[in-house]
Amino acid sequence: MTPGFSYRRAASIKDAVTGISEGNGRILAGGTDLLGCLRDSVFTTNMVVSITGIKELKRIDETPGGGLSIGALATITEISESPVIRERYPALAQAAAEVASPQLRNQGTIGGNLCQKPRCWYYRGEFHCLRKGGDRCYAVAGENHYHCIFGGNGCYIVHPSDTAPALIVYGAEATIAGPAGMRKVSLENFFVPPAKEVTKETVLEAGEIVTAIVLPPPLAGLKSSYRKIRSRQSWDFALAGVALALRTSNGRVTDARIVLSGAAPVPWRLVDAENALIGKVPDPDSAKYTAALSVKDAQPLKHNAYKIPLFKGLIEEEVVNISQA
Amino acid sequence: MNESERNIYYLRGIPVPETPPPGKDPAPWKKTDIVGTSIPRVDAYERVSGTARYPSDIHLPRMLYAAVLRCPHPHAEVMNVDTSAAEGMPGVRAVISGITSDTDFAWWYSKEIKTKIFDPLCRFEGEEVAAVAAETAYQAWDAVRAITVEYKVLPFIAEESKSLDSSSPLLHPNGNTAKTDKYSRGDVGAGFSEADIVLDETYRTECELHMPMELHGCVASWDNDRLTIWESAQGVYSIQSRIAEILGLPLSKVRVIGHYMGGGFGSKLQPGKYTVIAALLAKKTGRPVRLFLTREETFLAVGNRPPATMQLKAGVKKDGTLTALEFSCIATGGAYPANGTGLVDWLVRDLYLCPNVKTETKDVYINAGPSRPFRAPGHPQAAWALEQMMDALAEQIGMDPIELRLKNIPSFSQGREGNPPYTTTGLRECLSEGAKAFGWEQARKYSSGSKENGHVKRGVGVASALWFAGGGNPPSTAVVKLFSDGSVNLNMGASDIGTGTKTVMTMIVSEELGVKPEMVQIEYADTATTQYATPSGGSKTVPTEGPAVRAAALSVKQQLLSFAAADLKTDESSLTLRGDEVISMKDPLVKVKIHDVTGLKKRGVIVGVGYRGPNPERKVVNPFAAQFCEVEVNTMTGEVRIIRFLGCHDSGRVMNRLTYDNQVFGGITMGIGLAMTEARILDRDQTGKMVNRNLHDYKLPTSLDVPKEMKSLPIEKPDDTANTIGAKGLGEPVTIPTAAAVANAVYHAVDVRMMKTPITPLQLCQALEKGGKEGSK
Ligand SMILES: Cc1cc2nc3c(=O)[nH]c(=O)nc-3n(C[C@H](O)[C@H](O)[C@H](O)COP(=O)(O)OP(=O)(O)OC[C@H]3O[C@@H](n4cnc5c(N)ncnc54)[C@H](O)[C@@H]3O)c2cc1C
Ligand code: SF4
Repeated sequence: MTPGFSYRRAASIKDAVTGISEGNGRILAGGTDLLGCLRDSVFTTNMVVSITGIKELKRIDETPGGGLSIGALATITEISESPVIRERYPALAQAAAEVASPQLRNQGTIGGNLCQKPRCWYYRGEFHCLRKGGDRCYAVAGENHYHCIFGGNGCYIVHPSDTAPALIVYGAEATIAGPAGMRKVSLENFFVPPAKEVTKETVLEAGEIVTAIVLPPPLAGLKSSYRKIRSRQSWDFALAGVALALRTSNGRVTDARIVLSGAAPVPWRLVDAENALIGKVPDPDSAKYTAALSVKDAQPLKHNAYKIPLFKGLIEEEVVNISQA
Repeated sequence: MNESERNIYYLRGIPVPETPPPGKDPAPWKKTDIVGTSIPRVDAYERVSGTARYPSDIHLPRMLYAAVLRCPHPHAEVMNVDTSAAEGMPGVRAVISGITSDTDFAWWYSKEIKTKIFDPLCRFEGEEVAAVAAETAYQAWDAVRAITVEYKVLPFIAEESKSLDSSSPLLHPNGNTAKTDKYSRGDVGAGFSEADIVLDETYRTECELHMPMELHGCVASWDNDRLTIWESAQGVYSIQSRIAEILGLPLSKVRVIGHYMGGGFGSKLQPGKYTVIAALLAKKTGRPVRLFLTREETFLAVGNRPPATMQLKAGVKKDGTLTALEFSCIATGGAYPANGTGLVDWLVRDLYLCPNVKTETKDVYINAGPSRPFRAPGHPQAAWALEQMMDALAEQIGMDPIELRLKNIPSFSQGREGNPPYTTTGLRECLSEGAKAFGWEQARKYSSGSKENGHVKRGVGVASALWFAGGGNPPSTAVVKLFSDGSVNLNMGASDIGTGTKTVMTMIVSEELGVKPEMVQIEYADTATTQYATPSGGSKTVPTEGPAVRAAALSVKQQLLSFAAADLKTDESSLTLRGDEVISMKDPLVKVKIHDVTGLKKRGVIVGVGYRGPNPERKVVNPFAAQFCEVEVNTMTGEVRIIRFLGCHDSGRVMNRLTYDNQVFGGITMGIGLAMTEARILDRDQTGKMVNRNLHDYKLPTSLDVPKEMKSLPIEKPDDTANTIGAKGLGEPVTIPTAAAVANAVYHAVDVRMMKTPITPLQLCQALEKGGKEGSK
């Protein structure tokens, strides 16, 4: 029922890069997202290149400087269960544990999670929308309950990944291999907003693949968490999610990172709200203030205004929780 | 056969019930030995090990696979179908559509309006346009994609509230009203003026889809002029009669085999167009054809629980007397007459004592898939309205919600002509015993005062229910055969739709004949080899089939005793069956082993036929229920967590506690789906297409959405007037009050009324912001 394509299993990263460089090749990692897209005719491909045989992508290694390097094929389960990640990057472990369902977490990889396609039901359905190369966005005047309140511009998806916001609060970087060699891109700049290009979700160019995610060593004393709200308790994307990282000194906030999921076409960093927290005592009042500030620029669509009080409540609750943790 | 071998067949020393004289009704069971115990399903091993063959497991030699092309628009006229490319594709053996000559058969969702199997006017997204049979499923689907159809796309209606607008397109020549029903008793005007408190609210339940685990479909095969269908169905005879009628075949030429099936919830009481299409393709190709729908197709074309908007006005006196109920509902059964408002006012008419009641329900057309009966049709919708209203009234008069309900318990059915009494009603006990077991009073106080939880509030809620049917009724014929070695064969036409019918029927045979359950073999759900039965639905299978099975077992016993009486040269009324022997009650030395009974040895088998007798005259047999739950609401985020549930049900005798509790927990789970997660979403303002047609976007509850603590407390009152086994139905009442109980608990926690399903942060967040319980924000 899927359209015809050739299949090959790459022996090395270089082999994979060559494989997808011809025509419109696609990388297959866990396949949990790719196969659904092909079956639902979201896009087609003439070549599927499996990277599952490339051993060096299956790993979670500590780096010499005290950071961590996660191979693109590390599964979501491995990330949620890794003792190092749980201890040093708890927001990432929590985010991974909130992804989809146990089966999907066992099968899905971190590389695939970051490169997965959006979940807008028009995009996934029989609608030739803007992001698929069509001439209109159906979400604007349609059933936009689950669409974005920030950063919409022509297209109103929310970024589907739970792990991305958590990685961003830690300043993670993606290592990318391509026809022109290797490059590194901070995850914060990895995702492409529709304002820039509406048919693209990541900065990956033709023939490029993600090989690893590199996390710098965590700041001493950093507290971090990821919390996700959904309408069903498992197997459901975020209605709203927040990855939070705070560091305090003498009771006052010195560093803050707030990155949202379920809010915008890309993981949504709230720089104003972060700045507003700095220098404050992270008490219920400043939590409330930060939360209110967080949603002040929200631009809801017809059916998703609920996300404003939802994010407000979520951020306020999480800032209080983390400062009490 | 030696002694020890024979013992495997019998439960040694079990006193089986007295045998009535031939033609007399058996006395109600007093003490039972098998019925009422907790025995695992007789087919548990087959189901769990995967050896059970479901219709979707049927693979016949030379079988072809079929796929259906469906209209992608909610309303369109098929102008042209070009199948030439598809016909030439590899593996394709037949392509049929509205333009091929062999498909001109009528189809109806209900008899008022007939269409065709491939009607040129498609009134909902997913209506059948063409079909292919090919060597593999992939080839069939490739061919479906290669068919080109020219559609004239028409304006559509996606919301029942817009169906009757003058600007809306007409779906049928006589307008968009499928039917209007009115009911009235007493004088509601006078009732409201007597009331101390009158409330008037509008409630809504969203469209819910059945989503049984096994997909809808069948395998069809012709042997000359005889058609055999293996279908995932709730009843084989209802499939047989409909298909025979459509294809113009004698009933004897249509054999339908059901056996195992993976759930239906009402959506498989009848065949689908898929059944006819499979038969037509099989005829055309001369080969067996398998047509099972994809999951996506089942979202569009095999039924739903109709969305309903309900207005309820209620009056109550300060002492808790209900004075008037006025209910109106607009709902939609989709694009064809499909009883979109069926029974949706029943609880308002019948659940509580109230002299003045008026209801009006209107079923209107929209361009969406026709509804099919869905577990307790109409009732969960009505409960959502009525049971929240009862809660609101109780609050207004400062009375506990349980007390208000207890004040208004009827002993007779007010909604029916002549106010016939219920054979039994356990509504009072469901509420009061349930309240005790749940710890209602304490929980109610504790929850309201739970300020120490900060912004997470607890609440408890209750809702009660009755179910319109559930008494069972004739006809049913069952056959029990006793073989000369004492083992037993039960032959009945009913399907076991996963509720444990086979297990319960085995227990009845076992109870009457004293034979071990594992020595009973069941033949069932096959129109060629088993007896006529109505489909399994309406919570009527146990009370319908059970008495027939008991009668058949009794007939066997009577014949056996009379044969033994001849051997023992004694009067058969002095004889009884005990273990593996027939023994005189007067003289224990006068006895004969079953396998030595001459009459049985000569014939090789004793055949007993049992029929379902009539229900008691001028009485109503209904099951009753109350459910209780506790929730936690996060007032900052609108998240709701259900902490615990108690289902307290009066369904007469408990036949098997294990299958009983399965129903209670399953019903609550399904009710949680209605309450918390499920809703069909149509792209109402643009294309009218369904946007959430997959199991990810259409959210069935998962195991994390149901509470860890689920309890079942049966109120066991064997209903001896109802039928000879004393049981009433259970499968549907278990899901009626659930959603309303959750909504009431949420209200108790945060003072916000959930007028619409589902209860998610989508509506709760905003409602909480507008104002809930003081200090909650
Ligand atoms: C029903 C369902 C529910 C889900 N719920 C959630 C959720 O709640 N939260 C959440 O975060 N995610 C969720 N997901 C997404 C899931 O986590 C992803 O499908 C999974 O992580 C993808 O990993 P994969 O290895 O299977 O990717 P694949 O399906 O193999 O690939 C996904 C995409 O990424 C590309 N790709 C894969 N690896 C690389 C690479 N190394 N370099 C470049 N491109 C690559 C592929 O070409 C493809 O386009 C859900 C998915 C499903 C199907
Ligand atoms: S939100 Fe984006 S993906 Fe969805 S319909 Fe609009 S353009 Fe397409």
